Amino acid sequence: MTCERVREQIADVLAGRLNAAARETFIDHLEGCSACRAEVAELGVVWRGLDAMADPEPSPQMRARFMETLRAYEEGFQEAQRKKTYSDPRNVRKPGWWSALWPVHPAWGAAFAATMLVVGALGGRMLLSPRNGEPAANPELSQLRGQVESLRQLVALSLLQEQSPSSRLRGVNYSYQISQPDREVTQALLHAVNHDNNVNVRLSAVDALAKFASDPSVRQALIDSLPMQDAPMVQIALIDLLAQWNAREAGPALQKLARQSDANESVRQRAATAYEKLGGTQ
Amino acid sequence: MEDEQIMQEVRAGNVGKLEVLFDRHSRALFRYFVRLTSDHAWSEDLVQEVFFRILKYRHTYEPETSFRAWMYQVGRNVWVDQATRRKGEVALPENAGEIGGKDVPADRQVQSREEAVLLRKALAALPPEKREVLVMSRYQELKYDEIASVLKCEVGTVKVRVYRALRELGDRFFALGGERA
Repeated sequence: MTCERVREQIADVLAGRLNAAARETFIDHLEGCSACRAEVAELGVVWRGLDAMADPEPSPQMRARFMETLRAYEEGFQEAQRKKTYSDPRNVRKPGWWSALWPVHPAWGAAFAATMLVVGALGGRMLLSPRNGEPAANPELSQLRGQVESLRQLVALSLLQEQSPSSRLRGVNYSYQISQPDREVTQALLHAVNHDNNVNVRLSAVDALAKFASDPSVRQALIDSLPMQDAPMVQIALIDLLAQWNAREAGPALQKLARQSDANESVRQRAATAYEKLGGTQ
Repeated sequence: MEDEQIMQEVRAGNVGKLEVLFDRHSRALFRYFVRLTSDHAWSEDLVQEVFFRILKYRHTYEPETSFRAWMYQVGRNVWVDQATRRKGEVALPENAGEIGGKDVPADRQVQSREEAVLLRKALAALPPEKREVLVMSRYQELKYDEIASVLKCEVGTVKVRVYRALRELGDRFFALGGERA
């Protein structure tokens, strides 16, 4: 057995992880090699010294914070599942449909209730109105839909401006419920992608913007965001999204990132692959 | 229930089950980060981040693979991301390590509080990749094949890296103590 092999096993010996036969061979070598004996003795002092470092304990808040995030995520996830279910025309009339509209944030609960009152009043007027002018009901219906939509936008915007990352995360999740988000919501999501100090919020905001493939301004904003990102996970999420959109106009930005020597290796590889997929050649 | 089975349930959409895995592993993960960063508050943030990414990227977990190894893989990525952003900010708080009395026989303890402080300083001064592999092997009790899957390298390479890290730690420790030039 060579000294090199013996030294690779020192940590195993000190941790008691070597089996009996290997230990015997190890000891045989030590008997005839003073250099390795000295090495084992010296590193043994260090190894055992590491025992002396106490095991640090996390604060109770660590678990509480995680549970808050998990619950918020679970809520958003269930909401998305419900939305999926109710968007199926066969399930539209199942009981509980309206519960999917109820805002998660308590502050908006009251506002939502007030809007429902307006909805009720307008609905009543519609039912009582004469039926001779048939197109008359349609503008009112679309007005009602518009009100519910605006309320959702307000809730999402309000949550996106909250101090706590889990609330902002909830805001991003809430934005999924808006069928046609207005400019203000997409801007708030883009702002989160570029400026939120929490990487989870940035990642979720990238995902939430995935449905805007056809909006050239969102496409361009995400391309512009690539060089601004420093977290590899967010960079990868953006690269994947642009590749999924087949965004050829992202070619130069992807190529630049693929060649950027100080970028994370996985990011560079991903950017190179996406660049090639979009028709570029390195 | 095994970690891997639970993770498969999380992957399938039963996200609430992640609470069980958090309760099983968050403390060890926290200690891993404290040993890498010497910063308790940051380590708690890193743990949050790891479990959030596990949640978000649960579909990338491959059933039948070790959950622990995968978790440390995610942990490593999170640490690399954040350490890159906070370059040069890593401090060494006074309470990062103390002389441990628990279950360690007196003859196996580092002689004095001063020596424990030196060892702590030597560990903090190790290059991050050496500190990382040593912490995984020494404290997290990860097997070589698990470390190899976290670091994406061969088992033989892990053994060599652990030895080199321990050797350098020894060199730094003895140099700080003035026993070696």
